[in-house]
Amino acid sequence: MDGGYNNNYNSYGGGGGGGFMPGEMNSPSGGKGGDRDNKTLRPVTVKQIVDASQPFPEANYQVDGADVANVLFIGQVRNISSQSTNVTYKIDDGTGEIEVKKWVDSGSADSMDTDEGKAPGSGKNEIELNGYARVSGAIKSFGNKRYIGAHNVLPVKDINELHCHILEATVVHLFFTRGPPGGANAGAKGAVAAGGDAVMGGADDYGAGQNRALMSMSPLAKKVYQVLRTEPQDDTGLHVQQIAAKMNVPATDVARAGEELLGAGVIFSTSDEQTWAILEY
Amino acid sequence: MSLQTPRILPAHLNAFHPSSSGPRSTHTVRILGTVTGLRGDQATITCGNNGDVTLLLKPDSHLQMGKLVEVVGKVTDLEDGQGLGIRVLGTTDWGNPSDCDYKIYEQVVEATHRFKSIFYDAE
Repeated sequence: MDGGYNNNYNSYGGGGGGGFMPGEMNSPSGGKGGDRDNKTLRPVTVKQIVDASQPFPEANYQVDGADVANVLFIGQVRNISSQSTNVTYKIDDGTGEIEVKKWVDSGSADSMDTDEGKAPGSGKNEIELNGYARVSGAIKSFGNKRYIGAHNVLPVKDINELHCHILEATVVHLFFTRGPPGGANAGAKGAVAAGGDAVMGGADDYGAGQNRALMSMSPLAKKVYQVLRTEPQDDTGLHVQQIAAKMNVPATDVARAGEELLGAGVIFSTSDEQTWAILEY
Repeated sequence: MSLQTPRILPAHLNAFHPSSSGPRSTHTVRILGTVTGLRGDQATITCGNNGDVTLLLKPDSHLQMGKLVEVVGKVTDLEDGQGLGIRVLGTTDWGNPSDCDYKIYEQVVEATHRFKSIFYDAE
């Protein structure tokens, strides 16, 4: 990760900063290697899975421009077909349909009656046709057909769970397309996203990229960024002392927060090391 | 993509009627309500504080009074010009209505239409 940041930072002068977000999320080196760091379970709709893009063959799938390792969704079971090695479900959540393959645990095949494996074989965990199921798994493809390699398929009995999931998927979608709630770009991004919401790639969404860098920062760093963004200033930005005075915190703290922001390449030093401005594209 | 069934409230029936403006690809919707009336091949569901909807049932639909049901169906004209109803394609029983916070469903409908791109194709 550090390497990525530094590269981007150094390349700012020549490259016009075009590579920031891709550097963080989509660079080929971050593709397979980054897989290990990205074990998130992302709530999505079936339509988002169907629309998920793949920057190049064998790459990770991306939704809203961010790699997805594992997905979570809830839908109705429209078909169940049991084979010797796997069970294939067709799941419909009202936004689309997708096939879900759950490999049969070979160990549990002959221990159906024990507590191991898929424990209560006929009890609460039975998936019913046309019932709702919660699926977690990874997006896979075979030939041209996309399917879900499921880790888990569990029945959903409480409708609030379904509704909560839909809202959660919406929140996460907005997070990736517009940045965190109340983020520095929230207002400005709102207008863009309202128009460009349909752009699922979102790869050209630099503001979101910047927000993504910001979101892992300390609260103080976020505040410093906010001050730099909102305070009136000239081309050279603001001096550490000025920021400290505005925020009413010690200059040493501001300096530390600045280090963070500098490291992530969201601000840059101007007339001297202690004067910063927001890095905008 | 294949079939999409937007979640709606009674107020949205008009927008999904086949005659409504724009060549909408889908007239199939999903709606959630409590069964409050059963009359032969028709039923009425009450959708929280959002009014009632008349359902035209299939011969094999079996609804129970007082249960919360999710209905997938096509928006259609009722006979005798009684407005709009839904011809049922399928229903899912969600049990006791008091186990569901209908306010959340209203928010779901709102969210799915406001942030359409992740739920439904443009019509």
